[in-house]
Amino acid sequence: MVDSIDKAREEFFSEAQEIIETFSRNLLALDATISEGVKDPTLINEAFRAVHTLKGLAGLFGAVAMGTLSHHLEDLLDELRLGRAELTRAVLDLLFGSIDVFGKILAAERAGSEAIPPGLDELVGRLRELGGSDVPEPGMVTEYELDPGMLAVLTEYEEHRLRSNLEQGLRLYRLHVKFDLATLDKALEEIKDRAKRHGEIITYLPTGESSSIETIELDLLMASHDDLSILIGALASERIIVEEIERRPQLSAAFSSRSHPHVAAERVLSVPSGHPRLGEEAADLALVSPDRSLRSLTQTVRVDIRKLDRLMNIVGELAIVRNVLSRIADRVRAEGQPQISSELFRVHRNFERRLTEMQDGILEVRMVPLGQVFERLSRVVRQISRELDKEIRFVITGSETEIDKLIVEELSDPLMHMIRNSIDHGIEDAAERARVGKPAAGTIALNAFQKGNHVVIEIEDDGRGIDENALMQKALRLGKIDLTDREQLSREEILSLIFLPGVSTRERADDVSGRGVGMDVVKTNIGHLGGVIDVQSEPGIGTKMTITLPITLAIVSALLVKVGEQVFAIPLNSVSEALAFDGRGVRVVDGRELMGLRGQSLPLCRLARVFDLPEENPSGRKFVVVATVGTKRLGILVDYLIGQQDIVIKPLGKSLAQVRGFSGATELGDQNVGLVLDPAALVEEVLLSGESAREKGLRAHG
Amino acid sequence: MANLTRVERRGHLRRAAAAGPIREFLTFTLSVDLYAVELTTIREIVSPPPVTHVPRAQHDVLGVCSVRGVLVTVVDLRKRLRVAAPPASSRTRILLSETGSGEVVGLLVDEVRQVIRLGAGEIEPVAAVLGGDISAHVLGIGRPGNDPIILLDLSSIIGD
Repeated sequence: MVDSIDKAREEFFSEAQEIIETFSRNLLALDATISEGVKDPTLINEAFRAVHTLKGLAGLFGAVAMGTLSHHLEDLLDELRLGRAELTRAVLDLLFGSIDVFGKILAAERAGSEAIPPGLDELVGRLRELGGSDVPEPGMVTEYELDPGMLAVLTEYEEHRLRSNLEQGLRLYRLHVKFDLATLDKALEEIKDRAKRHGEIITYLPTGESSSIETIELDLLMASHDDLSILIGALASERIIVEEIERRPQLSAAFSSRSHPHVAAERVLSVPSGHPRLGEEAADLALVSPDRSLRSLTQTVRVDIRKLDRLMNIVGELAIVRNVLSRIADRVRAEGQPQISSELFRVHRNFERRLTEMQDGILEVRMVPLGQVFERLSRVVRQISRELDKEIRFVITGSETEIDKLIVEELSDPLMHMIRNSIDHGIEDAAERARVGKPAAGTIALNAFQKGNHVVIEIEDDGRGIDENALMQKALRLGKIDLTDREQLSREEILSLIFLPGVSTRERADDVSGRGVGMDVVKTNIGHLGGVIDVQSEPGIGTKMTITLPITLAIVSALLVKVGEQVFAIPLNSVSEALAFDGRGVRVVDGRELMGLRGQSLPLCRLARVFDLPEENPSGRKFVVVATVGTKRLGILVDYLIGQQDIVIKPLGKSLAQVRGFSGATELGDQNVGLVLDPAALVEEVLLSGESAREKGLRAHG
Repeated sequence: MANLTRVERRGHLRRAAAAGPIREFLTFTLSVDLYAVELTTIREIVSPPPVTHVPRAQHDVLGVCSVRGVLVTVVDLRKRLRVAAPPASSRTRILLSETGSGEVVGLLVDEVRQVIRLGAGEIEPVAAVLGGDISAHVLGIGRPGNDPIILLDLSSIIGD
C-alpha cells in the first residue's frame, strides 16, 4: 500500500517534471517567434495545455502551491491565446520565471516541505495583474451563414480564432469530409497538413449523419485567403467536399442560439464536470472519436531506471552462466565427447547472441537524447544573458545524440556551470566586442556527437579566451604551483590549472558565476561519470571545453589483466592498445618511467607498485596496456593479459569511497570479484601529481 | 483502533516491569571472547566466498566479495576491534548487514554461536576498563549466565 502510494508520487513527480519541461520548450519556441516578429497561436495553445494539465495533476495530488501557480499561469495564457493580452518580452520573462518557481515547488514537495517556495507569492501577484479578463464583444461572426449548432460548440479559443481570421478579411469554408473510423487520425492529420498551406482549420465537428458504422462524417470549419476554386483544387476529393460559407446580407439572431441543445454539444456536456475547462478539452479532442479519450494517447511507458539496473544485473548474471556453459563445453570435448561438445557450443553461441540482443535492448531503453538537458541549458543561457545584458547566440548541434539516462541527469549541473562561466567570463561586453571588431552577439556553441563508444560534448565560445597569466598568478598565490613550475609549464598545463580547487580567473565574486564556480567541481563530477574534460583557449578568439563521456555506465567491455595473483578489469573504452614489454627502452625522467612508442614517449605506471602488490618477476616479460584518457596517455604495466569480457560495474561501497584508482568491482564468474580500474584517476595520479611522482622518484633513486 | 493501542501499551508495561524490553542478540566469537550484535541488524550469515583484496583500503577492510550478485565490503572484525589473539575456530562466517547508505557490509567473525534474549536488566553499561577505541563500539555487557558477552553497536562499527 505504502509502496503504491510512493510509486504514484514518483509518477507524479516525473510527470510534473515532464510537463514543466514541455512548457519550458514551448516558451523557448515562443521566445524565438517574438524575435522573428511572428505570432504562432498553436504555441501559446500548447503552453496553455501544458499548464492546464499540470493544474489537474496538482489537484490530484494536493500540491497546493503548484496548483495555485498553474492556475494563475493558465489565466494569463488563456488571455494570451484569446488575444486579450499581448505576448511581450516582459510577459515572457514572467512565464520563464515560473519555470524556476515550479522547480522549487517540486523540490519542496519532494522533500515533503510545506514551506512556500521563495518567489511564488511575488510571481502569482504579477500574474494576477496581467491575467484580468474582459468579456469579448461578439464580432462579425454572426454575419455568416454558420450553423448555429456549430457556433454553439465552439470553444472560446476557437471563437477567438474564428473572429480574428474574419477580422483579417479571410473567407470561411466548410469542408465536409467522410473518413474511415480506423484511419481517422491519420486522415485528419493529412488534411490539416494540406490545409495549412491555404489557411487555418478552426474546428471540426462530427455531423452525426454517418452512413455506416465504419465511417464518420465531419464538418471542418476553415478560414482561408484563397478562392473556392483554389481550395477545391487543393483539397477536394470524393471524400472531401469544399463549400464556401457565404456572408449574410444582414445581421440575424443566429448567435443567440448558444444554449440550444445539439448532438455535439450534448457530448461535451456528458464529460464529467469538476474541471472548469475539461469540457473545452473534450471539445478539442474527444469529439474526433468519442472512445478515443478512454485509451492512452501514447504507447510509451515510464520506467524507473533502477528497474533497468536490476534487469542489467540479471544480464550480468546470465553472462556468467554463459561463461560456465562454454567451460563445460570445453571440458566435454576434452573428455572425448566431440558430438555433445559441439552441440553445447551451438547452444552457447545461440545463448550468447540472444544475450547480446537483450543487453543491447536494455541499453537502448536507457538511452535518451542529450536534447533533454540542452533545452534546459538554452533557458539558462537566455536568463543569464539578460541578467548580464549580453547578447548571446546559442547554437546547439547534435542534440539528438543519445547517452545513458543516468549520465544525462548528472550532466546538467556541470554543463550549466561551464556555460555560465562562458557567458560571464568568456564573452566580452558589447563595448569591448565592438572595440575588437567582433559581432555584437557573442556565440556559444554547444556541440555533441558520438565518437565510437564515447559521446563528446563541446562548449565553445568566441569570447576573450582564458588569461593564462592571471591563471598562473592565481595558482602561484594559492601555492598550487611554484616559480620553477612557472617556467616549465606548457600552455596546455597552464590552462589545466583552471581545474584546480580555488583557482578562478576573476577576483571579484558575483551573482552569476560566483568566484569562478568550481571548475574543479565540474571536473570531479564529469570524472564520476567516467568522463574527462579538456580545455583549449586562444586569447582574443575564444575558449573550448571538451567533455568526453562513455555512452553508458551500465555495462562496459573490459580488458582483464593480471598482476601477481589479482585480476583487474580495465574498461576497453579507454584502452587504445596492449603490447608486450621487455623492459628495454625505458628511460627515467624526473622520477617518471617513460618508454618510446612510435616516436612518442609514453609514461609508465607499474600497477604492482602503485597498488603495493607482490610483483611477479619484476624485471621479466610483462605487458603494457596503453590507456588513453582525453588527450593523455598512460602505459599500465601488468603481468598478463587474460582477455576481453563484458562486465557490469558495481560501485564500491561508501566505506571504500576514499580508495582511489577504482571505478568499482565486477563479478568474473566462479564467485570471484575483480576490481575495475579507473584509468582517468590513474592518469591523473601518475601524470598530473608531478610533486608526488617526483618524490617517489627521489625515494626510488636514493 | 483505540483498544489495540491500549492492549499494546499494557503488554509493554508488563515486560518493562519484569526485565525491561527483551532484545535478541546473535552471539559469535573472536578468539576466545564472546561477542554479540542485535539480531535485527543482521541480514544474513554466509560462509566466506572468495574475497578480493582492495589495494589502498583501510587495513581492517579485507576486501570485497559477491553474495548472489550483491557486492559486499568485508570488514575483518578482529582487526577493527583490535583483537590480537589468534582465532580459536576455523568455522569463520560473514555477518551481512546493510548500512543506511545501502552498502552491504560483511563482518568476518570466527564462529557464530547462537541467538540469545536479554532483558534490559541483564545488560550492564560499558565497563570503564575496556577504554580506548573499542568502548565506542560497545553497547554494554550482557550477562545471561556466567560468561560475559560484549554487546557491540553495529552501526558504530560499520560507520553508519
